[in-house]
Amino acid sequence: MPTSETPIRRITPDDVPFSPDFSDADLDGLLEHSVFDRLDPKYRGSKSLRKTLRMHSRIVHCETGDIIVREGDWGNSAFLILAGEVAVELEAPGEFISETSLGRHKPQRKNLFQAIAQLWSNHQEPEYRDASKKAWNDKLTAARADGRRIYIQDVPQIVDEFKTVSMREGELFGELAALGRTARTATVFAVGKSKLLEIRWQGLRDLIKKDVGIRALFDERFRSNALRSFLRGVSFLQHLTLDEEKLDLLVREAQLETYGEYDRAGSLKQLADEDAQRNLIDEPLIAEEGHYPNGVILIRSGVARVSRRHHHGHQTLSYLTPGKTFGFEEIESGWQSGSSVPFRYSLRAIGYLTAVILPAALIDKVLFQTNSAAVPLREAKLPEQLTSLQANDDGLIAPDFLEFLVQERFVNGSATMLINMDRCTRCDDCVRACAATHDNNPRFLRQGPIHDNIMVARSCMHCQDPVCMIECPTGAISRELDAGEVAISDSTCIGCGACSRNCPYEAIRMVEIRDKQGLFIRAEKDRKPITKATKCDLCVDQHGGPACQNACPHDALARIDMGEVATLAAWLDQ
Amino acid sequence: MARSVRKRTLRRWRKILLLLALATVLLIAEAIGSTALFTTGLATGWLLLVLVVGLALYNVRKKFPFLPLGSAATWLQIHIYVSLFSGILFLLHLQWQLPRGIFEIVLALLFSAVFVSGLIGLLVSRVFASRMSIRPGEFLFQRISPMRHQLLNQVERLVIQCMETTESTGVPDFYARRLKSYFERPRHFWHHLILSNRPVSLLLSEIQSLERYLNETERDVMRQIGEFVKQKDDLDYHFAHQATLRYWLFAHVPLTYALLCFAAIHVVLVYAFSGALS
Repeated sequence: MPTSETPIRRITPDDVPFSPDFSDADLDGLLEHSVFDRLDPKYRGSKSLRKTLRMHSRIVHCETGDIIVREGDWGNSAFLILAGEVAVELEAPGEFISETSLGRHKPQRKNLFQAIAQLWSNHQEPEYRDASKKAWNDKLTAARADGRRIYIQDVPQIVDEFKTVSMREGELFGELAALGRTARTATVFAVGKSKLLEIRWQGLRDLIKKDVGIRALFDERFRSNALRSFLRGVSFLQHLTLDEEKLDLLVREAQLETYGEYDRAGSLKQLADEDAQRNLIDEPLIAEEGHYPNGVILIRSGVARVSRRHHHGHQTLSYLTPGKTFGFEEIESGWQSGSSVPFRYSLRAIGYLTAVILPAALIDKVLFQTNSAAVPLREAKLPEQLTSLQANDDGLIAPDFLEFLVQERFVNGSATMLINMDRCTRCDDCVRACAATHDNNPRFLRQGPIHDNIMVARSCMHCQDPVCMIECPTGAISRELDAGEVAISDSTCIGCGACSRNCPYEAIRMVEIRDKQGLFIRAEKDRKPITKATKCDLCVDQHGGPACQNACPHDALARIDMGEVATLAAWLDQ
Repeated sequence: MARSVRKRTLRRWRKILLLLALATVLLIAEAIGSTALFTTGLATGWLLLVLVVGLALYNVRKKFPFLPLGSAATWLQIHIYVSLFSGILFLLHLQWQLPRGIFEIVLALLFSAVFVSGLIGLLVSRVFASRMSIRPGEFLFQRISPMRHQLLNQVERLVIQCMETTESTGVPDFYARRLKSYFERPRHFWHHLILSNRPVSLLLSEIQSLERYLNETERDVMRQIGEFVKQKDDLDYHFAHQATLRYWLFAHVPLTYALLCFAAIHVVLVYAFSGALS
């Protein structure tokens, strides 16, 4: 195998700590802080904690007005306040200060010249990398380190004008979005000079594993901080005139449940490979058909399968994505008829799922006794709120196809590549367009499982719950802050292949990188080629969105958010 | 499915009606222009040239997938209907007569060849795409040749093993006579395009006929080879369709460039001898 003349040192996880400036002295000082008093003393003094903090955390200094996290950004880390004060905005979505004031701008795209220059600047050799370049491609907080602060002016006025809550030394925030692999639900900014410990989610994961009290603490924090805004987003609660008192009651009484294993990507991959019925049995059961409902189940993160008994097996009817509910109709029917109505379907978690359960008695007390909930709920249903169950009932999506999507776990995708094989002429314009926008390296394979005439291509689906991120030791694979695309930072990827192994859809490819002459770049130590993980990035840096979809002359290829059932049904029906 | 077909048909009819309306406007305008003694040939010629250049831009658009130029699907729809319109315009430009002079004949033939090759391309992309879904397997075009070689190697290995174990030449003889050439390269290209199974059925029946002269081991080998024959037939089927879907462009695109060159010369010639028009 021809290899490059200039071998480079293979980077290891230790080379890619969250902050290269986190010294032993900093760490010693940090561990003395009272915020660590709540940890198990044995764990507090352990090397393991030191390693976790060294690898996955960093100290962030904030000036007055600095924005620490923004509502809507995808959370990759949590923050612990070491000194100072921060404020959390509690306004309804869209009612806080403007997006531009929050420093939000469109993702960095190539300018017109850079875009056209790809015609001649793309490298002829596959997987070319400039080995001499060292770039730390971090996002918001890195920008702060570069001196580019994102801040809001006139903090006292903002605090007066908008509803905010103050957080002080020892308090933690941002962990729910980071652990749930979901978007931030509020904007947090520094009220005065503050010192924070930012822990990326890999660190949080390690803390949860090693210290039993931490998970309980996180659950409690979800209840006290985020549950209220989550309930406000639930469709059947939105249409009611909920007063703060009722909301308080719901927050107090709601049960928080988790199903499946948080850090087991393998289980999802294994499930996708197993046969349908075995697969279904292995999925954690949330609610069983024929049993009486104890409450309404609200999906907070993850995807769930709705099925019903059919002969000796189970027929999949639909899937539920975050924000969707299960069991409300049964409780509502029971209330109307005056007798309990059992679940019509079963609900099972596909992979890891978190849910909030509102007890039936509470629903009865808060909604039915004081409001005629059913009428506004049904009237308010818009076509775009079509559920997969309705799509199934209305014949918009064939039951077999739905079963296929759930069985293969494709419902997890937010940009699943579907190809209509009756229209696809196999011209490969999509592959060429992908290569042209990625330095001549196509980032997907026009191959994959086919059901009827629809192929689900082996391309990153930018999952709602990206299990590929679970075992990444350096955080190289993460969500883009704004739109939440799952992207890989080439400079911090150590080529361990954990993401590629964990991806149940075979959408991440490990490639051996090359120099300008096309020779493999090898490691100094073992002389083996350096590998990097590569996958579709949805053309985040390109104009006009995914090149594959735009390049298809026959409208055969589409990137579909499987949570948008109406879009899926419309595409299938075109 | 029926509903989506209905929707597509409706969309298509809408576009055809728009095309017919535009063609009618064009014919009326030309008739009025001719009655008023305008040189309509110049107007239709320039319009035709603009349309042909515009149509050729579709290929340029493909080279710029990184620019927000609209989806290729929209471009293709425009390409198809503008092409059909340009066909009517072309006949009008010729004043519904055969061209005179060698250069004009070549130019007209080039236009016709581009137009017809485009129609063939449209037809094959609409028909062949769905045809490929009816046969088992989905093969990348570049992988078909290696897969064919793999099949050939597997069959050869079987034949050699069979010869060694049975010390009979029944299977090897048949392989050399009928199967080697079948597995070596793509076969029955045109039969596949017209959906004829005749050649492979014939081969399979020959294999079956041969079995009566073979012992149990050889029969087993021939049965396995029969399966490989079917797999090779699927590969050939996909190859024939995918090759046609790719290679028609090798006629359409170069002919378009030739047409553009000839059209440019035609414009120069027209203006060089425009004294005759005034």
